[in-house]
Amino acid sequence: MSDRQAARPRTGRLVSFVGRRWALLFLVAEAIAFCFIARGFFTLDTFQLVFIAGVPLFLLGLAETFVIISGGIDLSVGFVFGFASVVSAKLIVALQGAGASPGLAILIGCAATLLIGMIPGYFNGVLVARLRVPPFIATYSMLSVTYGISELLVEGSQAGNLPYLSSVIGTGFIAYFIPGHGFSFFTHERVARGTPVYSIIPLVVVAAFVFVAIFVFLLRMTKFGHHTYAIGGNPDAAVRSGIDVKAHLERVYVISALLATLAGILYMLQFSQGKSDAGASYLLDSIVAVVIGGASLYGGVGTAGGTIIGALLLSVLETGLRVLGVATFNIYIIVGIILIIAVLIDQFFPEITSSESGASP
Amino acid sequence: MKKGLAFVVSALVFLAVGLTAFAGGQTEKSTASKQLTFVFVPGVVDPFYYTMEKGARAAAAKYGVNLIVSDYPKSWGPEVQVPILQATVAQGNIDMVFLAPTSTDALVAPLKKLYDSGIEIITVDTYIGNGDYSTASDFSFPLSYIGSDNVAGGKLMAEDLAKLIGDKGQVYVNSTNPDVSSVNGRVIGFKQGAAEFPNIQVVGVDYNLDVQQKAQEETSAILQQYPHLAGVFGTNLYSAEGAYQAVVNAGLTGAVKIASWDATADLINALKQGQVDLVLAQKPADMGYLAVEWGYKHFHDKAEVPKKIGTGFELFTKDNVNDPDMAQYIYTK
Repeated sequence: MSDRQAARPRTGRLVSFVGRRWALLFLVAEAIAFCFIARGFFTLDTFQLVFIAGVPLFLLGLAETFVIISGGIDLSVGFVFGFASVVSAKLIVALQGAGASPGLAILIGCAATLLIGMIPGYFNGVLVARLRVPPFIATYSMLSVTYGISELLVEGSQAGNLPYLSSVIGTGFIAYFIPGHGFSFFTHERVARGTPVYSIIPLVVVAAFVFVAIFVFLLRMTKFGHHTYAIGGNPDAAVRSGIDVKAHLERVYVISALLATLAGILYMLQFSQGKSDAGASYLLDSIVAVVIGGASLYGGVGTAGGTIIGALLLSVLETGLRVLGVATFNIYIIVGIILIIAVLIDQFFPEITSSESGASP
Repeated sequence: MKKGLAFVVSALVFLAVGLTAFAGGQTEKSTASKQLTFVFVPGVVDPFYYTMEKGARAAAAKYGVNLIVSDYPKSWGPEVQVPILQATVAQGNIDMVFLAPTSTDALVAPLKKLYDSGIEIITVDTYIGNGDYSTASDFSFPLSYIGSDNVAGGKLMAEDLAKLIGDKGQVYVNSTNPDVSSVNGRVIGFKQGAAEFPNIQVVGVDYNLDVQQKAQEETSAILQQYPHLAGVFGTNLYSAEGAYQAVVNAGLTGAVKIASWDATADLINALKQGQVDLVLAQKPADMGYLAVEWGYKHFHDKAEVPKKIGTGFELFTKDNVNDPDMAQYIYTK
């Protein structure tokens, strides 16, 4: 490998440098471009908006990263997201009706939903790993089932009437800074209207990144992660090397559903409602983020970091265009072109993508 | 490899420093001008809100207000509208935001934050909380709610539909969502209006969740169940369009009278062709115009803004649908 690289002319090395990091470079370039052309983009608030808008993509993207590296795909994440938003909202309202305080109801409701949310993932895993149903079909049927159950639960409407506290959490920040008053945590004192209050680090972003950190660790540093790459790279070899492929794949789909469930819960807290199709529009974007991040849909290749970059790339684009006041349907054109670039780089310079992000890290 | 990374990092730091200076210079410049800046955030991409934008632009031109219209949300819901709202106000130096909130609950916290930062809020067409900003509550901070009196409109529809069906018979209501303030008011008003006619019976209310196909199926089922149905009230364009399609398909055009809320070009055409009998036009252009006008008066003349401003209706029937004076009330892009 090193011999070949040394022999390559300079331009070749430049191509490979840019090729390996094109997504990151694109992200930096678009962020800088928006700083110059969109007034109000280069502010603390907008910077945090990018991350808030990115939360569903980080989580669903990470879910897809696991599944895609293992050689599958999970089409159900968007509707497991909606299912979780509905179940958590219904549980919280029910618990409050049974006499629990808002705080307790939210805590138990969210924790229980995290457990319930893994059930569709488990079924996905069993269908794919044990019953050899193609992932596309298995997860598509789970999409349909979770969608239907959510609709039944809300009787064709949406879940609401959540305690005000849920929206306080969902739209809250870790810290607030008021010039002259100093820092305060979680809440800030009432100040005269018009006093600048700097909100620092949104709670939903913290919650998302705690899970992102855990699962990035799992993917990069543990045997579980290495096995995921091995199964996606060559399932037969993985079996021969003694990996329990079936049990492993089951867990991969459960992780995917768990991350989608968390995203749905955060949605419920942010927007005080549960909606069965709340996550529908994020499904394709999350797969796009994974592909931009350098993963191969054939399995075995990809990184969580790449996916986060891919998700940020989309989220910066969307937020930037909004700040600029440009209609966001322009995103579709740009995203389409980016996707083609991603796939072409993967196709024509496989050595670029596979040498760095490839195989087990 | 490491050199490359170092290069990227140093380039970023360099740019960040440069940009801070740039951004700082820019904000200073814009605070110097005293022109009022208002932001309009529509509810969803739809001719109703385009018409509202036109009214707002007319008032903005008259009063010299700088009007920023945000990206139109592609679907109805806070998860689409709130990020658009927040990104649009990030431009800074905003004096007032007027918008059609897509949720009575989820918009309270983001709007309160804007209010606390010194921005005035007006809600148009829909409201937050229970829409009563005149008594102090968590959601009473907006300057005003400017929109149709939906209950009065529903009542008006019941009375006019009654005339068309000779004050007697069975009528049916197709609505969109059980928990949206505006359409629910129309259902309530319609029932109140119908109750004044002893020989008119409201046989049911269905909800189509803003899906025209579903409205059509629901109406077809009702036509099977009540073969002598005299009239249908559709509480918005999806309801009305689905309902008249069902009536046309059943071959009952003319026999079942259709009263429809919202004057889209499609519904006006259906009225001209006799497939719909009554079309109520809200006045979105007035809502947009009044929001800008009252905002201007608030800042410029320190005027007291009424907490609730009704914008009235126009009714289209086959007699006046070709009247050129009525054309202004049809919703258009």
